[in-house]
Amino acid sequence: MGRYLLRRLGFALLLVFVVSSSALLLTQLAPGDITSDIALGVDAETRERMRVELGLDRPIAVQYWSWLSGVARLDFGRSLLYSRPVTTLLSERALNTAVLATAAILLATLIGLPLGVYSGSRARGLGPAIVRAISVAGLSVPPLVGSLFLVFIAARTGWLPVGGMTSASGVDMAWGAWLADIGSHMPIPVMALALPLAASLERLQSQAIAGANREPFVAASRARGLTQRESIVRHAWPASLRPVLGLYGVMIGSLFSGSFVVEVVTSWPGLGRLMYDALRARDLYLVAGCAASGAVFLALGTLVADVLLAIADPRVRAEGRS
Amino acid sequence: MNRQPRLLLSVLLLGAVAFAGWRWWSGAQERAGNGNETELVISEVNPRGGTLTTSLRSEPRSFNRLVMQAVPTELFSILTQGKLVRVNRSTQEVEPSLAEKWSVSADNLTYTLTLRDGVTWSDGTPFTSADALFSFQAVYDPKAASVLTSGLLINGVPLKVSAPDARTVVVKYPAPFGPGIRLLDNLNIAPKHKLQAALAAGKFAAAWAAGTPIADLVSIGPFMLTRYESGQRLVFDRNPRYWKKDAAGQPLPYLDQVIFEVVPDQNAELVRLQSGQLDMLQQQVRPEDIATLRPLVNQKKLQLLELGVGADADVFFFNLRPAKWAKDPRGAWLQRKEFRQAISHAVDREAFANTVFLGAGVPIWGPVTPGNKNWFSPNVTRYPFSLERARALLTGLGLANRDADEWLEDEKGTEARFSVLTYRGNSSLERSVAVLRDDLKPLGIAVDVSAIEQGALVDRMLGGDFDAIFFVYSASSLDPAMSLDFWLSSGSAHIWNIAQKTPATEWEREIDQLMLKQAATIDEAERKRIFDQVQQIFAANLPALYFVAPRLYMGVSTRVGDVTPSIMRPQLLWDAEHITVRQPAPSKPASQ
Repeated sequence: MGRYLLRRLGFALLLVFVVSSSALLLTQLAPGDITSDIALGVDAETRERMRVELGLDRPIAVQYWSWLSGVARLDFGRSLLYSRPVTTLLSERALNTAVLATAAILLATLIGLPLGVYSGSRARGLGPAIVRAISVAGLSVPPLVGSLFLVFIAARTGWLPVGGMTSASGVDMAWGAWLADIGSHMPIPVMALALPLAASLERLQSQAIAGANREPFVAASRARGLTQRESIVRHAWPASLRPVLGLYGVMIGSLFSGSFVVEVVTSWPGLGRLMYDALRARDLYLVAGCAASGAVFLALGTLVADVLLAIADPRVRAEGRS
Repeated sequence: MNRQPRLLLSVLLLGAVAFAGWRWWSGAQERAGNGNETELVISEVNPRGGTLTTSLRSEPRSFNRLVMQAVPTELFSILTQGKLVRVNRSTQEVEPSLAEKWSVSADNLTYTLTLRDGVTWSDGTPFTSADALFSFQAVYDPKAASVLTSGLLINGVPLKVSAPDARTVVVKYPAPFGPGIRLLDNLNIAPKHKLQAALAAGKFAAAWAAGTPIADLVSIGPFMLTRYESGQRLVFDRNPRYWKKDAAGQPLPYLDQVIFEVVPDQNAELVRLQSGQLDMLQQQVRPEDIATLRPLVNQKKLQLLELGVGADADVFFFNLRPAKWAKDPRGAWLQRKEFRQAISHAVDREAFANTVFLGAGVPIWGPVTPGNKNWFSPNVTRYPFSLERARALLTGLGLANRDADEWLEDEKGTEARFSVLTYRGNSSLERSVAVLRDDLKPLGIAVDVSAIEQGALVDRMLGGDFDAIFFVYSASSLDPAMSLDFWLSSGSAHIWNIAQKTPATEWEREIDQLMLKQAATIDEAERKRIFDQVQQIFAANLPALYFVAPRLYMGVSTRVGDVTPSIMRPQLLWDAEHITVRQPAPSKPASQ
């Protein structure tokens, strides 16, 4: 297990290095830089002085080396956009994104897995057909449209705040009221993130459970006198989890690194929006930092999914021992 | 599935649908009721107090207006900073501000300004002429890389500024300048006691960056920044030390607070305005959104303020740098004014206004729109819609269909084709380019459209790496003498051929001479006459084509009053100190 974790850690570090370096270099190579926005309002000399001030006049290799030596000391540089350390910005926004991601994963799991088991263990019938239809619809709707639809519903009904993470009066609230305030802002972005994921989980779980139900050991359990429900819960469902938990690795990685679309549309101040702002402004170091955090979360997500799979599926543990 | 669970599921589904429908309907009724109730409990316009909530698409990169030119920084500056004199964005007249009066010498070169007595920064530090001197010093310091420098030069020469005493500032112009004291509207006053050290250390460009502690951001304007929640909002409270009073002697501003919610997405911003979570937007309402807002206007929840014809219009221009076409055979006709005139004839401006701006626009023939009432000339050459005249001009350039396809070719067989760059994500620009492409197709001219990021487009423009561009260029001032960067061939905003060492064409040389003369002329009527000439030369040569100027609409909640709109940005908040909001009466709080 120790060697396995070490291998995983090495892979994660390599992933972070490759992803953040690529992000930095690609952003550097793309046309324009952070001074482009104001280029029409100032003369060429002023713009050049700004570039010198920001260190953008140096060759790419020098900039990259300077950034890399900082990264070795866990210093991801200073955001050109906000003039603040990238690590400070990342830690602020990562917490906000983590709140959203955790809630979304929980909601997606609570909706997707039971419905997947339900529809996968029944070949025919109106109920599974409705579930399948809703899932396909959920998968087909682009995140932008889904988010805007939910925001529109919230605005139309007035039941929930349309956007943001807290109310303007949030800082003056007591702890309990502040948490309730955040909670009231969460349903729209959480649903926007969770519903497509729930649809994916449902489809995957449904197919996996249908496949597991055809396995001889499940049939044998039924022959031993277990009810259909007992047979599914004890045998078919654990065996069906391998592809489902594989998806969790990607889900955790993508959700915890922030969703561009959902965070922009619902004005949630998370990592996705930070990356969006950084990309639009060509903030090299912030782009690289956001990409690195995404890679860390992806590696962590994969690790968590592997561990969960080992816990859930006895065959994986057996493979590990052999 | 047996029948019982199926029935149960159906009942549950029906129940859920019915419940949702009932909540929706009852919610609508309740809101309608609340609307009336709110009307009842709301007091008459309360001249003081209340919070105005508006939005920003992006967060400020810097709070230092002297080094940053962006909407959030500009708004911060308007709310918290001051100027010696300011141009009233509605009347275009110059008004006293931190300087209560001024006089001008007989030769129109020396302005002596008297500063108001008793004005202090929000931390209690007195405002004196030293702050004004310091601001000029920062603007002209090359290490500070100020974005205001070019706007405070006359013929490329800085103004000479001195301060005989704490309340007097003397500004000497290097040459007579038509806009006169109006030039000083370009200068934001910076607090010397807070920023002097940064300027001395050569760090002024980094001073007052976004991460600056709020206590350091002292204000001399009507509001002061009291809270900045990164990614969420900026909160400005009334500056209790603000110097200005209304006609009745009441201290300004009227509002207690202005909140900017950071809403990056334009659609989400609109939804928040509709839901009443925002009182106003900073951007004009898009033509396609006007119909969406009409029901709210009918319900008297929203006002749709029509500001008139905008001063800025989308512009289409070719790359007219001779070097670009030196080895490209298309240059033989792409650089000719007849080609641009043919395009102007080929575009039906009325149809353009209907398609792109859904009718909310007026045809124009040059960069100065009817919205710029003082300087607009209606008598410039026009190019009425006529495909016949367009074809005749193209034929005169040797362009004809010489093969089986639908496109024209020149004598050497080069196809009449060019590419157009535009901003990605700007719906009116994307529609404009599509209309242009469709209008030129019947003529046999092929247009390849590329929508790219703004930064990339500007870089390609500055590098001369483009055939043609369709984008929006905003002038900083309505007075042409304050936009010389656009008009002069040496200017950094002379978009079709930037920063020429010597004028590339005779007509550009002529415009240069006229504009320099116009800027140096004091007599307003003479300035107008000269500028009419410039507009005519521009229209005859068409270095840039203008098709339609949009009518501007701003969406504002009906609880907001005393707004004085302007066609210049920021259209509403430029006069934030006079804005009021209706509030619930204290005894019966409204439910909203």
